[in-house]
Amino acid sequence: MSEKILLVDDETDFLEVMSERMGNRGMEVTTAESAQKALQEVEKGGFDAIVLDLMMPGMDGLEALKRIKEKRPSLQVILLSGQATLEKGIEAMKLGAMDFIEKPADINELTEKIRKAKAQKMVLVDKEMESKLKSIINAKGW
Amino acid sequence: MIAATEAAGWAGMQFFGRTTASVSHELKNALAIIKENAGLLNDYLLMMDKGMPLEPDRLRLVTGRIDQQTQRADDLIRHLNRFGHSVDEKFTSVDLNEVLALLAALSSREVSMQQATLNTEVEASPVMVKTTPFWLLTLLGHCLSFALQVMGPSKDLVVRVTKTEDGGLIRFEQLEKMRQHPFPGESESALFEVLGATYRTEPEKKCMEIKLSNC
Repeated sequence: MSEKILLVDDETDFLEVMSERMGNRGMEVTTAESAQKALQEVEKGGFDAIVLDLMMPGMDGLEALKRIKEKRPSLQVILLSGQATLEKGIEAMKLGAMDFIEKPADINELTEKIRKAKAQKMVLVDKEMESKLKSIINAKGW
Repeated sequence: MIAATEAAGWAGMQFFGRTTASVSHELKNALAIIKENAGLLNDYLLMMDKGMPLEPDRLRLVTGRIDQQTQRADDLIRHLNRFGHSVDEKFTSVDLNEVLALLAALSSREVSMQQATLNTEVEASPVMVKTTPFWLLTLLGHCLSFALQVMGPSKDLVVRVTKTEDGGLIRFEQLEKMRQHPFPGESESALFEVLGATYRTEPEKKCMEIKLSNC
């Protein structure tokens, strides 16, 4: 099953070319030009991973990351930045980002990270299901 | 005066750092798009090797993007180069029309990050003043940051150059919230002093102007 990706960046030219390249590699890509639009897409659900630009007008990538993790804790977020400082990287990881890559990113490296993101998400979803089942079993006293 | 020079010097260093960081960030974005489009051309070649036909229109789209982003990168570097050269002379004649155009170019990312629009209006003929170009850019950069902070909900800013009898002035308009924020701060005061420039704020008209002389 192909990976479902949400790609978020204020540069539309970047979105167009990346979504085509990722599509050529078998991924199903939805794009969003702003953090606000990204949050609307996240509400709809169904994504395995999000590739999110750090610096965007209005809400930036770190604020968007925080809100995404609140709505969908198991969703894996990979941050992309033109200025990948150590400080920003640490902040991103603390907020729950799966990875932090500097632009221009190597497409093969990014694809590999996305595949890992999907696998990680599936592990988390399985754990969540297991936890819910245990709660139900305990509640029923089975 | 020594204290003002030191404060202005430090403000200049900070403006230099902030500007080069912003422009280099934009350059990275342009390079990322060029790189990905070059990669896409490679993808098409691999697809052709596997027997898939290639549509010329798709190629035109990709080469068009590469051309556009290369032009963007070139513009960014040209503006950065001009900024670098602003320290060539300590005191010289400059055209305020050109200074404003350079400021707008260097600040475009700062303006877009605030989701604002910057409209510049210049005179039809040169407006010459005698000044220290780098410090003038630093001061105007600070003024623009202040303007972005106090702009109204429409987020439309106007910066205008006007010729005067003895030089020129630069006017920042539509500063809706300027009463709520103090100006000038320490850095700006130091810059006004070392530049020998004067300023006037008109909160009722929601504007601020900086006056420079050609003497």
